[in-house]
Amino acid sequence: MIPQIFILSIVLFLMAKAMPGDALTGLIDPSLDPDALAAMREKLGLNNPWYVQYWDWISNAAQGDLGNSFKYKMPVTELISQRVSNTLWLALATLILTYLIAIPLGIISGRYNDTFFDRIISGYTYIGFAMPLFIFGLLMLWFFGFYLGWFPTGGSVNPRATEGVGYVLSKIYHLLLPALSMALIGVVSTVQYLRNEIIDTKQKDFIITARAKGASESRVYNRHIFRNSLLPIAAFLGFEITGLIGGTVFIESIFAYPGMGQLFIQSIVGRDFSVVIAVALLFGIASIVGALISDIILNIVDPRIRIK
Amino acid sequence: MKKSSWSRSWQVVLMLTLVLALAACSSNGGNNSANPGTGNNTPSENTSNQGENSTDDGKPKADADGNFNIADFSNVKTNRGEPIQGGSITFGLVGDSPFEGTLNFNFYSGAPDAEVLEWFDEGLLTWDSNYVYTNDGAATYEVSEDGRTFTFTIRDNVNWHDGVPVTAEDWEFAHEVISHPDYNGPRYGSDFTNIEGVVEYHEGKADKISGIKVLNDKQLQITYIKSTPSLLTGGVWIYPLAKHIFKDIPVADMAASPQIRQNPIGIGPFKVESIVPGESVVYKKNTDYWRGEPLLDEVILKVIPATTVVQELKSGGVDLVSDFPVDQYPDNADMSNVEFLGIIDRAYSYIGFKLGTWDAEKKEIAMNPNAKMADVNLRKAMWQAVDNDQVGKKFYKGLRWGGTTLIPPSHPDFHDASNPGVTFDIEAAKKTLDDAGYAYDGEWRTNPDGSPLEINFISMTGSDISEPLAQYYVQSWAAIGLKVNLEMVEFNTFYTKVGSEGTDDPNVDVYMGAWTVGIDVDPTGLYGHDALYNFPRWESEENDRLLAEGVSEKAFDVEYRKQVYKEWQQYMVEQIPVFPTLYRSLLSPVNERIVNYAIGDGTGFYRYNIGVTEDKPVVAK
Repeated sequence: MIPQIFILSIVLFLMAKAMPGDALTGLIDPSLDPDALAAMREKLGLNNPWYVQYWDWISNAAQGDLGNSFKYKMPVTELISQRVSNTLWLALATLILTYLIAIPLGIISGRYNDTFFDRIISGYTYIGFAMPLFIFGLLMLWFFGFYLGWFPTGGSVNPRATEGVGYVLSKIYHLLLPALSMALIGVVSTVQYLRNEIIDTKQKDFIITARAKGASESRVYNRHIFRNSLLPIAAFLGFEITGLIGGTVFIESIFAYPGMGQLFIQSIVGRDFSVVIAVALLFGIASIVGALISDIILNIVDPRIRIK
Repeated sequence: MKKSSWSRSWQVVLMLTLVLALAACSSNGGNNSANPGTGNNTPSENTSNQGENSTDDGKPKADADGNFNIADFSNVKTNRGEPIQGGSITFGLVGDSPFEGTLNFNFYSGAPDAEVLEWFDEGLLTWDSNYVYTNDGAATYEVSEDGRTFTFTIRDNVNWHDGVPVTAEDWEFAHEVISHPDYNGPRYGSDFTNIEGVVEYHEGKADKISGIKVLNDKQLQITYIKSTPSLLTGGVWIYPLAKHIFKDIPVADMAASPQIRQNPIGIGPFKVESIVPGESVVYKKNTDYWRGEPLLDEVILKVIPATTVVQELKSGGVDLVSDFPVDQYPDNADMSNVEFLGIIDRAYSYIGFKLGTWDAEKKEIAMNPNAKMADVNLRKAMWQAVDNDQVGKKFYKGLRWGGTTLIPPSHPDFHDASNPGVTFDIEAAKKTLDDAGYAYDGEWRTNPDGSPLEINFISMTGSDISEPLAQYYVQSWAAIGLKVNLEMVEFNTFYTKVGSEGTDDPNVDVYMGAWTVGIDVDPTGLYGHDALYNFPRWESEENDRLLAEGVSEKAFDVEYRKQVYKEWQQYMVEQIPVFPTLYRSLLSPVNERIVNYAIGDGTGFYRYNIGVTEDKPVVAK
């Protein structure tokens, strides 16, 4: 894992530096003295060769100092910690909603395949596949946020709520609509996976054996099919961790929800290198860890796989 | 297993590459004008002559072709009813980037931060509709005989939000901090180096700035090296820094300090009550405000994305917004619960011709007499070939319109309305090229020496219409026989190629950019021979002379200054290193319940005047 992260950091660093312009390019302002800008570039070390810049950065990063954001003029770690909690809560809510919706739908659709309900559910998953998240998010925002007025239309918390129970409730209230929007689109692949797995497993020999031995239908489904069908879903969970940290650019911009995805895009547009690299590295680490967690989960739920 | 996680993480690397590449192609949401302002985001008073198209309900109407005219918009909100006591309003900060949270005029760099700041802090001087400092603000000023020494007197009742009076020392302190070698904000520049002793202080050769004297608690004297009329229009640093709060913080740490980020302080009509970083701010009224107690009890600022601004306005989710996308106006012109105010923006779009390079050694323009665009007739023909008024109508429903000179009408005193620029005339354009020897060689024209002529044109991506707009120009030039190759590039790449760092891309011949101009009319920063942002890399003695005259002592006489800039505008129409394409309007929707509100300067309305006629925002029918 360590060499992976190390190589990832070099690649990220080089690619970030290859972007045209730097954090000062946006400050095109005749009232600013070009000499002062040149002095700032020198001060920030932007004129050094890449390996010097990389060494400066990696040696600090190893000590937990990811540098300062040029735009925000504050430590990157502080900036990320402000955002990451929003994204974590949003992702957690999305994850819970996703599984709450996906598992029952998948089971119904798989168990009663080719029935009326299955067709409805399959139809929904096809629409979900076809529907881009940012369109769906806008529709949800318009309908539930503006038209019905049931949910707040932006932000992560009511500006007036600053502490206590009100603060927590306001936070939850604010993340329900974006989380639901993501979950309703996000469930479709899980539903399809689960459906296909169940249909697949139904025809396996050991199910026929179980039926032949007189196991009741509910026992067949709950004990034999369901557990086996959940394997790929469980493997997915690790990758959801990446989503937990990464957030989603679309939903966060549509709902003006300040999280990591929004921070990432803004820092790219603003050429805020220290933030770009730090956030991208964090995403990378999250997905490496996510892969590891997937393997561990699979290992737990599937006795056929064992780490030697 | 090990193998599988390896391959997965490489997928991630690949995925990130794509993300970076995609992001490098997009741009900052259509906000393509580089900002040369001095940080004073205050636009001009509109020429308040009502156009003929406004109707009884005050809503500007489109003409038969569906086009609007900025002259039909008022910049002052019509009061409908009497204000109630107190009340709370919501201000929508429109933008896809949340404010950065550097909440002090001495340190901020992003425009969103300025919007947050203006509710709770203000400069010590205010200015009139011509952007000249007045004596109506929190401080008054006098200028000495030679125009170099300014004496400022702060009013007695001007206090910081914590009750401590604002002193001359606070003002001096702001100058010292910005001139400090460790200062990490963007403000240190020619406005400061023009103060006696600042350079010495900046280089660490002096402990004090010799040109700044604290006369007593309330009086400050600043001596400038060079007296220019620009000093009176934005050349003075008018934002004090609370010394009793910041004196013990090292300058390098100030911008990140909680005194700026979490508990910012100012002298304005509202105090910051709480901040959710990047998302919202709650302000309460400052009963101790020096102009008087504000009418409103509370102001809430929240960030809203440009995609939902119309919905937020209709539902009453916001009463005011910082910015309204002009292209969404035609579809929402009859929104029943808001009144749209409008003024002419301090900005212009333009097309520039590369005529030289930047000499980094000498820090000045090095013109290239053999540049592809060096013949003024070629440039003139390219101006004659484009119909900018039509572009404004087709792409912006008349809310942008053809530009004529390089001083936009947002500076009504200096914009020469009688100068038509170069007008659209295809036949004249062809004739200009014929006369100059650009003969046809089959489909396209060649250089006068017979060599093929291919012009490379770059433009910025950003909005949906960026590319069609650029294509229009390419087609117009094709119509007169010029072969122009278009390349669309993203904001950062664009300015790097054009020369924001002095390393101009030699393959660029023509580019389409935009400038937001400062409140001072002086264009030296954009067209002077030693200006890095003189992107066309064009200079001439006459140009230097006129620019110098415009800021000379004689130019303190406004009539003389007008005359100089009139000549300069005409000179630039003849020389055409760049030509203006579009002037722009700025629209601001305001909920009907708001009273005493105006946009622009010198209107006599201040934020403490703002009131509401009802408890709740009016909702669209």
